[in-house]
Amino acid sequence: MTRKLVGIVDYGAGNIASVTRSMKRTGYRCFASRNPAELDKASVLVLPGVGAFPSAMQALHGCGLVGYLQESVQAGRSLVGICLGMQLLGDFSEEIAPTAGLGFVPGRVVRVRDARWHIGWNALETSGRASFLAESDGRSVYFNHSYVLETSAEYVVAVARLGEALAPFPVAVQRGNIFGLQFHPEKSQSAGLRILADVLAEAHHAG
Amino acid sequence: MLGKRLVGVITVKNGWAVQSFGFGRYLPLGRAEILADNLDRWGADEVLVLCIDRGAAGPDLALLRRMAAKGLSTPLIYGGGIRSVEDAVAVVASGADRIAVDALLRDDPGVVPGIEAALGAQAVIAALPLGVDGDALVSFDYRTRTRAPLAEATLALLRAGSVSEVLAMDHVNDGGAAFDERIVELFPIPSVPLIVFGGLRDPDQIRRVLGRPSVRAAAIGNSLSYGENRIRQLKSKLGALPIRAPSYLRWIDQ
Repeated sequence: MTRKLVGIVDYGAGNIASVTRSMKRTGYRCFASRNPAELDKASVLVLPGVGAFPSAMQALHGCGLVGYLQESVQAGRSLVGICLGMQLLGDFSEEIAPTAGLGFVPGRVVRVRDARWHIGWNALETSGRASFLAESDGRSVYFNHSYVLETSAEYVVAVARLGEALAPFPVAVQRGNIFGLQFHPEKSQSAGLRILADVLAEAHHAG
Repeated sequence: MLGKRLVGVITVKNGWAVQSFGFGRYLPLGRAEILADNLDRWGADEVLVLCIDRGAAGPDLALLRRMAAKGLSTPLIYGGGIRSVEDAVAVVASGADRIAVDALLRDDPGVVPGIEAALGAQAVIAALPLGVDGDALVSFDYRTRTRAPLAEATLALLRAGSVSEVLAMDHVNDGGAAFDERIVELFPIPSVPLIVFGGLRDPDQIRRVLGRPSVRAAAIGNSLSYGENRIRQLKSKLGALPIRAPSYLRWIDQ
C-alpha cells in the first residue's frame, strides 16, 4: 500500500473531476477508478456522490464495489463519503424507494425536516470531538441535498440547521476509520479545502 | 443558518461569454472559463453558466470540461441544450453541480422526473423567462418570442418537487437597470424557492429582493465580472441579510 495515495471511487454517480482536482490541491496524490486492483493501491478511499440514493447504490452494485468497500473497511482502510457518499454509509434510505446502504454507520437516510431541500451555504456547528473539524466551527460550507443520515449522536461530529430556532441535523459523521461529509468540501472554496486537507490527514492516520 | 446567495451569471453564445440585453442583443465579453475562474477567486456563492444557443446541439460539455480544468471550487450551475436524462447526467459528470432546464420544460416535461431520479431534485432548476402582462405573470418563449401563462405541466413539476428552485428570469429587464419585483409577488407557488435574475444591479434592490422569504438567491450578470472587488463590495452593502461573509479564495483562509 502506498502512503498518502487517495483512491476516488468512480462508480458513475458524481462529479469525479471536481473532487479529483480538489484532492490534488490538498497536496495528496489521487486517482479515480472503479477497478478494485487499482483502488487497492490507495491508503484512503473517497466515495463521492451526486444524485439519488437508489441510483447510486445500483451503480455501486453494478460496478461490483459494494463487497469490495465492505472488505476494505473491515480490513481497516479509511473511507471518506462526500455528500451522497455520506448517506451511502448508512443502513438504508427512504429516498424514492427503501434501499439498503453500505451499513458502515448505523442509521437511516430520511428527508430533511423543516424544508424540502437544504441548498446553499450554511455554517457548521462542530461537536469538538473530531480533530479534522477543529478549525471549522462556524465556517460556511456548501450544501445541496434533500435527505440526511440520521444516526446515533456518538457518531455525529457536526450539525447544521436551516434556521436559528430549527432543529439541527447531522452533516458530518465519524465512526473510527469511516468519515462522512454531507456538504461539498470541493465546492466550498477555502473553507472546504481546509476541511478536505484535514479529513484526509485524519483518515490517513486512522487507516 | 442557511444563507442567501449571490450567483454570478455567465451568458454564453457561440462559445463566447456575452453581455445580454433582453436576450436579443449581445456584446462579447471573452472566454467563459476565464470569467468563471474570476468569479471563483472573487468569492461568488455560485456560478451559473447559461449557454443560450445550444438547442439541438446539446449541452456544451467541452466548455464544462474547460471550466472543470480550472479547478473551480465554487458550485457550478449549467443550463443550455439539455434534452434528456443522459444529457443531464453528462453535464454533471463534466463538472456541473446542478443543471437548469428551460426549453425542455416546454418540449418534453416528462423527462424531468427522470432527471430527478438520476440526479435528485436538488440538482435540478427550472429556468423560467418571466414577465408581467397587466396583473398576470406570463412566461416568455425565446424561440417564438411569444408570451403565455405558465404551462400547467411546468406548474405540476414545481408542485411535485421535481425541481428544487426556479430561476425567475425577468426577460424584459435582462441587461437593464431594475428587476421587476412583481414577478416574485405574482409567482403562483410561494413555497418554491426562487433565484431571481435580470436587471439586478442596485444594491438597495438586491437587498430588498433577497429579503423576501421565497427568494433564496440573486443572480447577477456582468456587473460582478467587471472588477475583483465587486462581490465583496456588494456583500458589504447587503446589511443584515443572512449571507456568507465575502472572502477571496485562498488555500488556507486564516
